[in-house]
Amino acid sequence: MSRGGFAGKVLRVDLSAGEIRREPLDMALAERYIGGLGLCLKLCHDTIKPGCEPLSPENPIILGAGPFVGTNLPSTSRVYSVSKLPSSRTIGWCGAGGFTFGVMLKNAGLDHIIIEGRSPKPVYLKIFDDRVELKPADRLWGRSVDNTCQALWDEFGMPTGVMCIGQAGERLVPFSMAFVDRISTLGRGGFAAVMGSKNLKAVIVKGSGGVKVADRKRYKTLSKAFLDKIRSWPHLKQAQELGMVQAFSFVPRDEFARIKKRRAACVSCPIGCKDVVEIPDGPFKGLVKCTSSVINLYTPALYGFTDYRESIKCMVTLDEYGLDMFEFFGLMAFAKRLVDEGIIPRDAAKPEIRLNSLDSMETWARKISFREDLGDVLAGGFNGIIQQFGEEAEKLAPALVKGMHPYAGPGSAISWDRFGTMELGQVLDPRGPHVGSGGSPTYFASRPLKVFTQHLKRMGAPSEAIDRIIKNADGPTDRQELKVGALLRYSHAWFTMLGSMGICARGHINRFYNAEICADLYETVTGIPTDLPALRERVDRVWTLYRLANLREGLDRGKDEIPPEQWFSKAGFKNYLTGEPLQRSEVERMIEDYYKEWGWDPKTGMPPH
Amino acid sequence: MAKYRIDVATENCSGCSRCELACSYTYTKAFNPSRARIQVKMSGADCSVRFSEECIECGICVDQCLYGALSKTKKQEDQP
Ligand code: SF4
Ligand code: SF4
Ligand code: SF4
Repeated sequence: MSRGGFAGKVLRVDLSAGEIRREPLDMALAERYIGGLGLCLKLCHDTIKPGCEPLSPENPIILGAGPFVGTNLPSTSRVYSVSKLPSSRTIGWCGAGGFTFGVMLKNAGLDHIIIEGRSPKPVYLKIFDDRVELKPADRLWGRSVDNTCQALWDEFGMPTGVMCIGQAGERLVPFSMAFVDRISTLGRGGFAAVMGSKNLKAVIVKGSGGVKVADRKRYKTLSKAFLDKIRSWPHLKQAQELGMVQAFSFVPRDEFARIKKRRAACVSCPIGCKDVVEIPDGPFKGLVKCTSSVINLYTPALYGFTDYRESIKCMVTLDEYGLDMFEFFGLMAFAKRLVDEGIIPRDAAKPEIRLNSLDSMETWARKISFREDLGDVLAGGFNGIIQQFGEEAEKLAPALVKGMHPYAGPGSAISWDRFGTMELGQVLDPRGPHVGSGGSPTYFASRPLKVFTQHLKRMGAPSEAIDRIIKNADGPTDRQELKVGALLRYSHAWFTMLGSMGICARGHINRFYNAEICADLYETVTGIPTDLPALRERVDRVWTLYRLANLREGLDRGKDEIPPEQWFSKAGFKNYLTGEPLQRSEVERMIEDYYKEWGWDPKTGMPPH
Repeated sequence: MAKYRIDVATENCSGCSRCELACSYTYTKAFNPSRARIQVKMSGADCSVRFSEECIECGICVDQCLYGALSKTKKQEDQP
């Protein structure tokens, strides 16, 4: 059988020396690590100098798109970056969708880009098929994300895939994000700061090749059946209509109807969840925003903004600088508390920190992004503030995991209180608090246990594992059991499978996939013989390597994987099944279950060698 | 091969490129949206959909659009 899916080349860029090399993709490695996320992790593991500083030239950036990216399999848009992240100081993934970048990367003949070193001057990497250049970025440096994308599109036309950073990334803010095609984010953890530290403003890509499929005949049958399944989904129209608003009640439907301009979708996605909105009236009338989701635009409302138009304007500003909204607002709430308690002198905090004021928040976003006055301290993140103001400040800090603010949980932006896989995953994904890899039906409260059985089967969990994780699914509720820790092991494996192939992990998409279909599609697209057991083995290899790479960086269960105290306070998390206050001992057991289910040492989390 | 009149409702277009992917795959045997005979451009809130002269009105792109932005009507054969 011929080969397909993979473009076949890896680009190596040494920014210090200004050297660029194209190398053939090692297909044996591609097979062992699947592609996309899996190969990014492997390439990072093999390239990084262990123990390096996240913002040093030794920390590489690995970009990549899996073998399905560029095909028309539904929602195969994912682009991944892997680096040592400055917030968590662990090797971590960031993932984004987008319209063009991933597809163009593949069409330019590349599966991955490895970027090392540090450019002496600001540059951007321009990849137009075989013509690859480092171009001076003097005209782009200092510009916002929006402005940078627009300037590049004005110069090179559409469609050009653009990944770039704003001013916060340039100034190494550890909670800055990079943007893909202006709409999707490589976020949380400070990936943009890694780009900034390398003087790399953007990567742009255009390609005229094409993504091939190994077995065209089988592809036709499989992809048609797959699309038909989505086409006949009774909730399709509603999902397209509402996007993420469906699951988040804090966006009032009438307001959404007023601002919605169009639904946008990442490349190949039949159930898009990106939004294009326009402010219909008031002082910001006519402001158009393309966003990863309208729910993001309502984040300021969670912190007290009452006018949705001001919320949108505030988020436009944060996105322009390239600031992570959860970390920004969490940090501002912390800073305000320190001012109120007299730990930060009131005259240092000018203008007054008011979480519900557009003026105040926009000014602080600027001060942080440009590191002005106290903004310079806040730009150091929670750790920066604690270092500056000491123990007294530390006592007042919100729940932190690896120095970051978990965004789901008591006292966080999304304040749901049931403790499921996403919540536990915030501690157990080495990259730090992110819910992206830990999805499961615990996302919704009070799901019947049989839903979990189906979900585990879909994720490819063996039946003996399902029996270990769920007990008495049909029995009386007080005898039912759900092992959240062991379940998370399969959520992580599932996320790895999807991300390595290039499939979006959002719930309304991944519900159409299952592990067996993934194995079939992988074999069909790539031509690499793959059945479910083989795929499971590769997936497990990837996530285990991810852990090993981080153990090599010094990740330590005793220090890095402790759930924060606040989770067990009076207003803390609740047990997913019983609704009773969550005990620390329960979470300790979940962590052990998680390790055990992976076959790692249950006490240390160390995989066997 | 049957020919279709293709109608476009740009207000429904999501920019997903499924139409472009399908067209390029059908006629170049590889996926590349920029080599499709249909070209979708999104810019802020605006969207345009254009067909190139090589388009043979086969309707394959329409079948891939799940947003209701493309629709097709069979053309009468043997029309004078
Ligand atoms: S579900 Fe949303 S994030 Fe995922 S591919 Fe579709 S548009 Fe992109
Ligand atoms: S009608 Fe056929 S040829 Fe024309 S753009 Fe659509 S798929 Fe391509
Ligand atoms: S398939 Fe439909 S929604 Fe997607 S880009 Fe083409 S016309 Fe627009």
